[in-house]
Amino acid sequence: MVKMKKMMSRRDMTYCVAQLTFLSLYSTSHSTFKLATPDRHHTRRRFHFKKKFEYVNTRIPKIPMGVTKENCRNELRTAIRQLTDRCLYSASKWAAEQLVGIEQDPAKYPPSHTRLQRDCSSISRRFRSTGDEITSTPLAGTSYVSTPVPEEDNEDVDSDFYLLAKTYFNCREYRRAAHVLSDQTGKKALFLRCYALYLAGEKRKEEETIELEGPLGKSDAVNSELVSIERDLSAVRKSGTIDPFGLYLYGLVLKQKGNENLARTVLVESVNTYPWNWSAWSELQSLCTTVETLNSLKLNNHWMKDFFLASAYHELRMHNESLANYEYLQATFGYSNYVKAQIAKAQYSLREFEQVEAIFEELLRIDPYRVDDMDMYSNVLYAKECFSGLSYLAHRVFMTDKYRPESCCIIGNYYSLKGLHEKSVMYFRRALKLNKNYLSAWTLMGHEYVEMKNTPAAVDAYRRAVDINPCDYRAWYGLGQAYEMMGMPYYALHYFKKSVNLQPSDSRLWIAMAQCYETEQLRMLEEAIKCYRRAAHCNDREAIALHRLAKLHSELGQSKEAAFYYKKDLERMEDEEREGPNMVEALLFLANHCRAQKKFEEAEAYCTRLLDYNGPEKETAKSLLQAIKFAQSGFPSSDVEHFPS
Amino acid sequence: MGNNLGVVQIEKNHMPVKIEQNLDGPLGFRSATPYPLPSIITKPIASLFHTTAGRHPPLPHHRRRLPLPLPHHRRSSPPSSHHRRSSTLSAPPPEREGSSLELHRFHHIFLISLTEMAGILKPQSGFVITPHKVSICILLQVYAPSGQYSVPFPFASIAQHNRLGLFLIALTKSCDDILEPTLDEFLKLLKEFGGLLDNWLSDHVTSRLSSLSSPDDLFTFFSELRGILAGPETSIVDDDQINLDPNSNLGMYLRRCLLAFNILSFEGMCHLLTNIKTYCKEAFSCPPYEMSHLDDPTNDLEAPVEYENMDLENFVLQNFTEELESRKRSTERVPFHNHSSKALSSLIEDIMVSPGQKHNHRSAESSQYMISATSALPSAEPSDVILQRTNWQIQGYLSEQAEMIEKLGSSFPMSAFESVLKLLQKVAPELHRVHFLRYLNSLYHDDYPAALENLHRYFDYSAGMEGSDFVPTSFGCTSFGRYEIALLSLGMAHFHFGHPKLALEVLTEAVRVCQQHSDDTCLAYTLTAICNLLSEVGISNMTGIMGTSDSQMTSIGTSLSVQQQLFVLLRRSLKRADSLKLKRLVASNHLAMAKFDLTHVQRPLLSFGPKASILLRTCPTNVCKKLRLSSQLIHQFDNESSVMTIDGALSTSWLKNQRKPTTSLVFPPESGSESNCDTFYSWLQSSSVPGSVLQLVGSSYLVRVTSWELYGSASLARSNALLFATCFADSSSSADLALAYGKLIQHLAVYKGYKEAFVALKIAEAKFLSISKSGILPVKLQLLHERALHRGHLKLAQQICDELGVLASSVAGVDMELKTEASLRCARTLLAANQFSQAASVAHSLFCKCYKYNLHVENATVLLLLAEIHKRSGNAVLGIPYALASLSFCQSFNLDLLRASATLTLAELWLLLGSRHAKRALNLIHGAFPVILGQGGLELKSRAYIAEAKCYLSDLSISVSEDPDIVLDSLRQACEGLDALEYHELAAEACYLMAIVLDKSGQIEQRDEAASRFKEHIIALENPVKPEDPLLNLL
Repeated sequence: MVKMKKMMSRRDMTYCVAQLTFLSLYSTSHSTFKLATPDRHHTRRRFHFKKKFEYVNTRIPKIPMGVTKENCRNELRTAIRQLTDRCLYSASKWAAEQLVGIEQDPAKYPPSHTRLQRDCSSISRRFRSTGDEITSTPLAGTSYVSTPVPEEDNEDVDSDFYLLAKTYFNCREYRRAAHVLSDQTGKKALFLRCYALYLAGEKRKEEETIELEGPLGKSDAVNSELVSIERDLSAVRKSGTIDPFGLYLYGLVLKQKGNENLARTVLVESVNTYPWNWSAWSELQSLCTTVETLNSLKLNNHWMKDFFLASAYHELRMHNESLANYEYLQATFGYSNYVKAQIAKAQYSLREFEQVEAIFEELLRIDPYRVDDMDMYSNVLYAKECFSGLSYLAHRVFMTDKYRPESCCIIGNYYSLKGLHEKSVMYFRRALKLNKNYLSAWTLMGHEYVEMKNTPAAVDAYRRAVDINPCDYRAWYGLGQAYEMMGMPYYALHYFKKSVNLQPSDSRLWIAMAQCYETEQLRMLEEAIKCYRRAAHCNDREAIALHRLAKLHSELGQSKEAAFYYKKDLERMEDEEREGPNMVEALLFLANHCRAQKKFEEAEAYCTRLLDYNGPEKETAKSLLQAIKFAQSGFPSSDVEHFPS
Repeated sequence: MGNNLGVVQIEKNHMPVKIEQNLDGPLGFRSATPYPLPSIITKPIASLFHTTAGRHPPLPHHRRRLPLPLPHHRRSSPPSSHHRRSSTLSAPPPEREGSSLELHRFHHIFLISLTEMAGILKPQSGFVITPHKVSICILLQVYAPSGQYSVPFPFASIAQHNRLGLFLIALTKSCDDILEPTLDEFLKLLKEFGGLLDNWLSDHVTSRLSSLSSPDDLFTFFSELRGILAGPETSIVDDDQINLDPNSNLGMYLRRCLLAFNILSFEGMCHLLTNIKTYCKEAFSCPPYEMSHLDDPTNDLEAPVEYENMDLENFVLQNFTEELESRKRSTERVPFHNHSSKALSSLIEDIMVSPGQKHNHRSAESSQYMISATSALPSAEPSDVILQRTNWQIQGYLSEQAEMIEKLGSSFPMSAFESVLKLLQKVAPELHRVHFLRYLNSLYHDDYPAALENLHRYFDYSAGMEGSDFVPTSFGCTSFGRYEIALLSLGMAHFHFGHPKLALEVLTEAVRVCQQHSDDTCLAYTLTAICNLLSEVGISNMTGIMGTSDSQMTSIGTSLSVQQQLFVLLRRSLKRADSLKLKRLVASNHLAMAKFDLTHVQRPLLSFGPKASILLRTCPTNVCKKLRLSSQLIHQFDNESSVMTIDGALSTSWLKNQRKPTTSLVFPPESGSESNCDTFYSWLQSSSVPGSVLQLVGSSYLVRVTSWELYGSASLARSNALLFATCFADSSSSADLALAYGKLIQHLAVYKGYKEAFVALKIAEAKFLSISKSGILPVKLQLLHERALHRGHLKLAQQICDELGVLASSVAGVDMELKTEASLRCARTLLAANQFSQAASVAHSLFCKCYKYNLHVENATVLLLLAEIHKRSGNAVLGIPYALASLSFCQSFNLDLLRASATLTLAELWLLLGSRHAKRALNLIHGAFPVILGQGGLELKSRAYIAEAKCYLSDLSISVSEDPDIVLDSLRQACEGLDALEYHELAAEACYLMAIVLDKSGQIEQRDEAASRFKEHIIALENPVKPEDPLLNLL
């Protein structure tokens, strides 16, 4: 069993096993599933807002004001213009996506305006049957601060130098752009100059990383412009004439230099004065590694904050909160691909693969050239062993942009599903070459190496993943698994403990740990029982824990506990309409146990159920039944052996 | 003459490359990563070397060769291979043992060996051209300008010329140093050597350097350099013309530089140019703003790292001294213990030398250190300082540091080193060895989570194979890492942190994995580790642990007692180590056996069948034999020519020694041996036997000390301790050394009195100031306690007892030996306060504890104490059985001195029963006299004299008044001894007896004198705290 599990478990560990039960479960009860979801969402949302008020207790006095879609739209439109003007392209891209994502009234607009909405309609029908009413009226209690959209000061809007610098910038001649602006004094000019310098430094850094790759694998080239940029910006900040964009850049620089506290303060300042710069929010989010730091931020209650919180919760593995937040946002930004993808991410973390798949199918239809987040889709397809779907996806991203780490990862997944592990490792390595800190590629590569029985390499790969993000419980689990495979269960326990620490609600981790304790080298059954118990409490989908618990208890001679767990297991199997050797085992034990406890009627019931099975159990059940009858008829000795049938 | 530097270089380079290729297979993806092949073995240079080494005709005589005055150190085989081999054989458990208290201490036994086993020698990567090398080249050009005659321009004489040559050779030899000097330092060096020419030379170097402003300048510079080499075909040149022999040291160096330059890409050239610029800039101006450290000093306290002097060792040293100073400062402010009462602290502040080593102020210290560090250190540019050093050098540096950590233990400057490591890690992410160092560092500073984390990280990354000593072929395949070493290290770490149960679980798994992968060496180590664990951990709770752990590792039934299991295990691991020829492991196993023999009575292993009659005694000859066997190790290493040197290390140390006369890190004043004069020879000498071996041999002497102490020969114990302190001070760990010092101090106290002991203590404390958990602190407390007891200052005694108790159960786990010591002293304090029943109950529970943990040697002492308690309470009948039991314990463990004092107590007890037994008592005393007078301390001797006198006085058959001299003389001696000890109570008794005898014999004048002295002692006893106490002001 253990061995089998090891063979099968990969990717999200036991997807394959999970998926079998999963499919059998949901193929039969699909309708109930659908009905159940909205309900659950409601409860979650409520829960979330209760939480939210606990988290944010220091609030700046706010103007109670509902946020209407039109407001958002106007704000975003201005923001896009301003961001583009400052060459903050990815932030303006993000803003534009959200702008289009706001639901339009189809009656008011010509069809070309609502194209995306039409595409999306199917999924909204499928998963969002209710909830539209909430959109216009935000929940009572959440009131937003309105941040006035800053008017552009006209001082250098028309400056010719600025225009020239911008064109240089667009042609990626950063230093030239910076030079043009070197004696301009306006805020905008200052920002663009510093930003261009920063990017020039980054570019040089990238080059140097390759050029200077020294004998020690040195990879730490520094952006040499950071110091001068910091000096300039801090001077401006001290004089109080810094604008939010400057603050954003300042925060960026500070973060790179490792001065995280100040960076956080500066970024908070930036987003409070100009909340539409998503890049600033995401920098801020990457600086919030604990819930405490997140809660200590003094943020204005702008609607952008919801995006931020949702993404921060996700990173902090508070998936339910994050999901609730996104679903709330969806009320306004109903057609935002970003929100959809984020919901998929959260669902994926909650292992709701069915929904994730549906969302991605829709996303691909609306936005066929999307590569972002598609690696997650490929994971889902992998878990569902959907060969053709995965190959189709791989082909698609390959045609779109083959030199994206995500693309490589998808191709690697495809090969892995095909069982061509060498090839898949090759693609994961390519992904890592493109982005050395690509977390999931390291983990997936570890899985591949485990499959190839190259445990040291697997350990190395997992360790790199863990060092990039110490909260990646999958990699910790992988480490533990690798060591367990090498026959070092005690050593492996360290890693399982780490993983379980990070994700205490995942039954699979507990089960893995328990199995470690159970190995013949350790035989620490008490500890194993404790772990199984935790697993049983954590909604153990594969129902391994209950069975093992019963078995261990009976092994230890604690028949009462064993009977309790067998009974539970039995109930569960009945619920899920599963049959199998476990059922027989449970019935047999319970029959024997009840007979020993003189609960003859119960024992009889179990025995009669046993009679439905072929094999030796049937005979045993027959003889048991006879013995029970003898006992009931009042014979002093009810031993079967004395009264052979 | 023709140096084979280049050839060695090539060999050295080849080997790791092979390993590299091996590594590539299993770890597939590694090939893309870290270590590009060393550029030096590219084809052209290899052929160049071979041609010059092979075909080049000898040069004619008349041509002036450049001098090669420095002796080349032996280089019989490539150092790399040597190092590797010797580390395979290494088994240098640097035990820290000694004191009967710490008999079983074996803590960091394998850490060094693990360092070596897990050790790493990664390929040396390319010879990179750096600004420093460029300036050497400039000097070379000055030294041998092409086409000039005998004494070229700036030189006044041949001697001056030769001097520069010498200097250059030393420089080139140290070119593989971990860090290169800055231009400033380089110029300073030059000044020391250059004599009259220094100004000219440094001006020349700087102007030449600053003239290199474009890539083309570099190009012309190097092509000029090529001109000073004599071509191989120019065998006949003009007389007196200077040419650099391409095969000479300097020639070889120049050629390497040229090659390194030639293979530079244009980018590389640009980088070299910028590096040269910063190199010059740093020297001539204070570092400009751009160059200042990238981290904001106000935010990250650890960040500012000073690299101005580019010498890691210096850097660490500097930080270390700062840390030390700040520690001093902080402890000055915080007296002794925070929790102790005012009186105690004031007393101790007065009495004690310096409040140095209280480790519970660590946090305060460290924070203070941080602040001082930040304020003291201006930020400087760290980035490309280490970057250009070769992997090889960093490996060397790291193993050096590992040794230092092992040696210094917790006194190693943690935060300073940690920041260096952090930097290294940032700079060299593929150098996983750093993680191991971090593990060691945090291990010795009791940072449990960090240690665990780093250990796991290290083995995850390297699979225990990062260039390690192991030979891949012996395994067949390399697909499996050496994770058994990880387990072994983890077990040792748990052991170190005081988790024996966890440690045993892990070690059991290590045994299993070793067997699975037939790693015999590691198995031998693991077995020894288990032995240590078993022998150190209190035996009583081991049975439970042994029960859960499988019996396959010991494969002996549970019918044997744990001691017997330990014995079997010891023997087996000894045999295994012997068959594997792991010399150091054998030696350390011998030591462990000696310790086992010392404290355990031989019992038959078979519980049935014909038993050989075995005396239930320990056997001193066995102990002796084992000790001798273990110290024989040094001869084996003496015979072998095992010089392990890293290339260039010799000249590096030479250069360094020229600069600063004393290099020793910790004890600057003490390390006279390696100071100034003949650094070469001392260096060579010290390297002939590996340090770990010396350490092992040293610890065998420490065991000797303990064994002699137990067997009751104070003088032999003392001489062994002295021997250790003089011969092995350099090589042994500071904890060991502190232990030896403690022994010597205790000896002084017992035999010479407190005054001298405290003087010695003062010296020792100054010496071990930096060691937070040194063995000196318990010694100090013990001395203070003894003194307080003797002077009758019971309150103080009680406080000190409590201090000892606190010390015993520290964070890192309970120290059984210290704990027994503390409660023993507690019982004695109670006894002194005449609280007999309480004292007896404490002693009783102590006895139970000792029995439970199999501390038989301590049991003898406790029984004696019980007898003493009954004696003092006047209940002789109850006391005698205890005294007899103690005697039999002493007999079976050969504790002669203790036996003598037990006999003395027995005699006193008999005497207490009445004058009828005086004769018997006298006989007993006389029987014990030889040992007591020969080896006993002042107190024991005096007690024996007094008891003897009492016997005489109470014996009716002897009239003392007729022959007062039979008692008077010994009483006088007793008085003297007790005066030295300030033992007022006994001294008063002696004076009293003397007065009586004198009275009886009619010597009135002397009687009065004795009586007045009696009165003095009684008064002193009543007022134990005297402000004018000389000792209070003495210290």
